[in-house]
Amino acid sequence: MAIYLQILSNGLMLGALYACLAVGFSLVWGVLNVINMLHGSFIILGGYLTFFAWHLYGIHPVVMLPIVAALMFALGFTLQKLVINRVVSAPVLTTLTLTFGLDMILYNAMTYWFTATPRRITLDLGAVHLGSVVLPVDRLIGTGLALAMTLLLYAVMRGSTIGRAIVAVRMDRSAAELMGIRTDRIYAITFGIGALMAGVAGVVFATVFPITTNVTGIWLGKAFVVCVVGGLGSVPGALVGGLVLGLVESFAGHWFGPQQAITAGFVLMLVLLLTRPTGLVGVRGYE
Amino acid sequence: MFAHGILRSARASLLAGGVATGLLAAALAAPAMAQETIKIGAPLALTGGLADEGHKQDVVWKMWVEKINAAGGIQVGDKKLKVELIEYDYQSEGQRASQLAEKLINDDKVQFLFSPFGSGHTKIVAGVGERYQVPTIACVASSESVYDQTLKYLFGTLSPNGGMTTAMVKFFKEKFPETKSIAVLGRDDVFPKSMAEGIAKAAEAGGLTVAYKELYPVGTMDHAAALSSIKAAKPDWIYITGYTQDLILARKQMQDLGITAPIVTMVTGPSYTEFTQGLGPLANGISSSSWWHHLTTYEGQGVWPTTAAFYEDFKARTKGDPDYVHGSCAAAGEVIVDALARAGSLDKAKVRDAIAATDIQTFYGPIKFGPNGMNLSRELPIIQVQDGAIKVLAPAAIKNADMIAMP
Repeated sequence: MAIYLQILSNGLMLGALYACLAVGFSLVWGVLNVINMLHGSFIILGGYLTFFAWHLYGIHPVVMLPIVAALMFALGFTLQKLVINRVVSAPVLTTLTLTFGLDMILYNAMTYWFTATPRRITLDLGAVHLGSVVLPVDRLIGTGLALAMTLLLYAVMRGSTIGRAIVAVRMDRSAAELMGIRTDRIYAITFGIGALMAGVAGVVFATVFPITTNVTGIWLGKAFVVCVVGGLGSVPGALVGGLVLGLVESFAGHWFGPQQAITAGFVLMLVLLLTRPTGLVGVRGYE
Repeated sequence: MFAHGILRSARASLLAGGVATGLLAAALAAPAMAQETIKIGAPLALTGGLADEGHKQDVVWKMWVEKINAAGGIQVGDKKLKVELIEYDYQSEGQRASQLAEKLINDDKVQFLFSPFGSGHTKIVAGVGERYQVPTIACVASSESVYDQTLKYLFGTLSPNGGMTTAMVKFFKEKFPETKSIAVLGRDDVFPKSMAEGIAKAAEAGGLTVAYKELYPVGTMDHAAALSSIKAAKPDWIYITGYTQDLILARKQMQDLGITAPIVTMVTGPSYTEFTQGLGPLANGISSSSWWHHLTTYEGQGVWPTTAAFYEDFKARTKGDPDYVHGSCAAAGEVIVDALARAGSLDKAKVRDAIAATDIQTFYGPIKFGPNGMNLSRELPIIQVQDGAIKVLAPAAIKNADMIAMP
């Protein structure tokens, strides 16, 4: 029994981290209809910024969180404004290819500057023991942060003018333009928020996982699966998708061996694509 | 993953453009090298996932070429020929390594190939070398499966993985007689998998119970499930194989989940400084095995007469300590020097037979190839991280510390 509680909590914490990495990806995909291939590299870039600030200047990752968030927002905003907006209404394959090309530049530049050596913030925060269940503190913080970011995004989308404008553009671009919304600007802000979320995930990940450009593709792949599982077009989709994927991988790893853990995640994705293309909590029309 | 998968080939072809530009530049520069040289081709992973390993090979090969050319070159019959090393970046993509090996042989007319890092990519490049009968020296491939393909032109300077497992089981049982069971977790990849399977076999043969044995796929970013199962099995010895990033993550998660054992071995983690740097204090107590360590005191022929001479040279050049990749790859050049001296010509078949008959002493240790082309077994160092530094526990001749239990 104790081991199942441990596996359950492992799965939930892993799932929250998955949610954290997918929220921004889901937003950009849902609103801009852009599959942002840069997302994995954005996460790692956020991780590197955090790592070097800590390694070279001793800045704590918590302090870096708002700084990385601001820098990544600026990067995302600029990229969308100057580059991606030029083709944003083209078919999805065009924007996919564009972000893929941009990803190659960023990925190779990071490998060139930082090398592929795995780096880690050796800031081991220990663990909390609840009976026989062990909860690593950094993952707990990651879980909290993932939930907080999702809630925050949800609140922004619901309650702020910008949020309502983003939702309006997502629903009908032409109508939104007629209502006086500057869609180019909304796109840039949305992409900026997506990059910001990736950066925040990078800060969290820098304390939990080794940071190396080797894993950009892995994180991008996870974001993709989380979105398909959870569904696009709703903020809680990424959260639900992340948690479900984390739990499935965790239990599959225990029951069928670690070799099958990743496979189980993809099987889940395939089953959902066949039976429920909108994902678990996705909004119809965004599949 | 799906979308990324689709675009892998797109990435490949786009990157190929960059390579082509580099090749063009190399081709334009070629006429300047009018006099006869010995050309060695090296497809290298200078970017991508194996970039760190690729750069290690690159730095020692350049050191070696400079040294050998400064000494006038390699003696072939009555002539001394300079060495030209032609490197291309294959971006850690196996498919491209094969294309570039073909290009090196057909366009650049290399007489030898140095194979890239890892058993998997060595297998690919050696296949091309075999087709064109170009002797291929592999300095970082230790899985016997690579040498089981009856490739006549492939020779490897690392000795078989087997040498790392049986001796280790015996040594640990001597040091910790109460060791009864082992848990093995290995990456599902050529070398890490063969080590995981090798240690499980050796442990069973040595009278230990294998309490857990699983492989994890490439791309695993969470070991919590596997480690929780290992914790439940309560082994005396935990043995994990993988690349540095996998091992750093596994060690970190072991700490998080409160999992430990008197002996924790990670292969080849501690052989690399990246591992100890990435883990900090968490690296302490982790044991491993390696093919070579710079504390060994070998003497022999070649541009570096002793291990110390190589170490000094390397330290002066890179400010860091060499690991087994550096040692083994630097020694690969000496195999060619020795074989050419004995063959007395550049004739492919003669050179191949001369390499097969290699029996030399070098700063890296003895090199003598077995019937499958691998360097023969010898006593390999067992190492452990103690206070952040690598200590050698065995063999007795170079031992500089006693083994400690995991803190």
